[in-house]
Amino acid sequence: MTSEAQAVTRTVAEVPLARRFGVLWWGALLASGALVLLLGYTLVSVTLVGVGVWGINIPFVWGFDLINYAWWIGIANGASLFAAILVLRRHDLRTAVNRFAEGVAFFAVICAGIFPIIHLGRPWLFYWVFPYPATFEVWPQFRSTLTWDFWAISTHAIVTSLLWYVGLIPDLATLRDRARSRNVKRLYGVFALGWRGSVRDWAYHQRAYRLVAILVLPLILIMQSTVAFEFAVTLVPDWHETRQPLHFVATGLAQGLSIVLLVAVLLRWGLRLGPYIDEGDIDLLGRLVLASALVSAYLYVDEIVAALLADGIAQEATFNRLTGDYAGLYWTAIVYSILIPQLLWLKAARRSTLACVFVGFSIGVGIWFDRFSIIVGGLQTDYLPSIWRTYSPTLAETGLFLGTIGLFAALLLLFVRFLPVVSMFETRHDEHEEKSS
Amino acid sequence: MTQRPYGLMAEFRTPDDLMHAVRAARRAGFTRIDAFSPFPLPDLANELGIRTSIIPWIAFVAALIGAGLQYGSQYWMNAVDYPLNVGGRPLNSWPTFIPSTLIVAILWAGAATLLGLLAILRLPRLHHPVFSVHGFERVTNDRFFLCVLGEDPLFDGEATRDFLQGLSPQAVREVPA
Repeated sequence: MTSEAQAVTRTVAEVPLARRFGVLWWGALLASGALVLLLGYTLVSVTLVGVGVWGINIPFVWGFDLINYAWWIGIANGASLFAAILVLRRHDLRTAVNRFAEGVAFFAVICAGIFPIIHLGRPWLFYWVFPYPATFEVWPQFRSTLTWDFWAISTHAIVTSLLWYVGLIPDLATLRDRARSRNVKRLYGVFALGWRGSVRDWAYHQRAYRLVAILVLPLILIMQSTVAFEFAVTLVPDWHETRQPLHFVATGLAQGLSIVLLVAVLLRWGLRLGPYIDEGDIDLLGRLVLASALVSAYLYVDEIVAALLADGIAQEATFNRLTGDYAGLYWTAIVYSILIPQLLWLKAARRSTLACVFVGFSIGVGIWFDRFSIIVGGLQTDYLPSIWRTYSPTLAETGLFLGTIGLFAALLLLFVRFLPVVSMFETRHDEHEEKSS
Repeated sequence: MTQRPYGLMAEFRTPDDLMHAVRAARRAGFTRIDAFSPFPLPDLANELGIRTSIIPWIAFVAALIGAGLQYGSQYWMNAVDYPLNVGGRPLNSWPTFIPSTLIVAILWAGAATLLGLLAILRLPRLHHPVFSVHGFERVTNDRFFLCVLGEDPLFDGEATRDFLQGLSPQAVREVPA
């Protein structure tokens, strides 16, 4: 039977069904597992001791917690926006990257969601932001930005995971039908929910899938704008800007795309998925990353122009970011997220795995520095010079950050091991259309 | 009288063969038929007269309900039931109520669409008669199937089998009830 199977099913479905997986995968899983342990340790320590283990203090009531939240949510939003647009455009690229772009988005939301909960100080009371009939008869304050986070993160997590899962159902059915052992067959069978590929089922499935992809577009714009509004509604001089949402949406997209590119080249190389994530796909992704880096560049220029037009204190606050104690962060962000991606003008760079990994990684790092610069640099020169201080993260915060990276990597590795990373039914559909056209 | 089978299943190699078979079956007067394929076939869905326009309606109505509930509950909680004056700001501060209203509208629309999809398709369903057909597992890979259901008014064991054989399929098999 295997010999007659469609090539895509054979190549993609055999990855999760393989009995053994390489040493590289195990090594990566062990390394990320160690970081997950570190995450557990830092979470327990901050829960037991309190947020005093972090380097935050007035005026830096936010530090790594908000930086990393904004960073992860940017990855999530960029990746989901990208996946949704590909579905809507019915672009050929969707078959190659959609499945894991949605996965990347979902895992990044999980990592992002940890921060707002843990930075509450009493994280076990996080449900207070949810309106439930408490005996105190106090309702959450909806004029506070904290409740926005609750709805935004939970919605993003639910919608992304549903979209991802519904897209997976037909492919889980393929795994069910190809599994060799009875138990594996049962396991995939339960998750495939009894999918049998009826033409009627397909028609509804496609309609619903596309519709939810459409819904993801406004969701992402609202999500990133909400994150940005959380800054903009404060009175901190450097944050109180109407340009914030645009900055967050655009740089978030660059960051999401760069992580998708990074994961795409790693999967292509690691799982030998060359025929399905082909050179053309990577090339196109590279161009998109470059374009989004150029948009980010435009917004950095816009920031400076806006500062020139701003009133005295806001202007001083912005220029303090460019030249003050934290100027290094700002310029690192420029180098990593704007200058290094210019490498992708070269065709050779877009075709090279190493160059793509380098650029994808550097944009991720660059935007992280950008968020650091906005949050810490913004708080540094407030209206009251007597509280001007500097901030540096403690080991507990760094451990938390590294821990979420480990969690993300571990989730991604498990996904690669047990689920098809390329959408098989979309690829079959594409191949059929190519043949008949 | 023996129990009627669930149906008769013919197996085809290509989507075009399946399309021809469906057309022939409809010309022959069969009304209760089902087709199976490894990927979406929008043309065939049109041919079978499948209308999916209920899906956007589910999303739209759910979005309205979600938005209404969210805005209404924010208003009731912060302006009526527990008014809290923060710096003299208005109690019904609609701009700050908008972010979660829009987000929750999307949450309701998305969740209702996808859960509604499962309800319409009557999934999850762990067993179905077609799964007992030998070779049906290739429907998730590279084979196309046409099933004439036993409940079809024109269904007649031998005659239907002969009809399906006439479409030159790979095989015709009975789907036990």
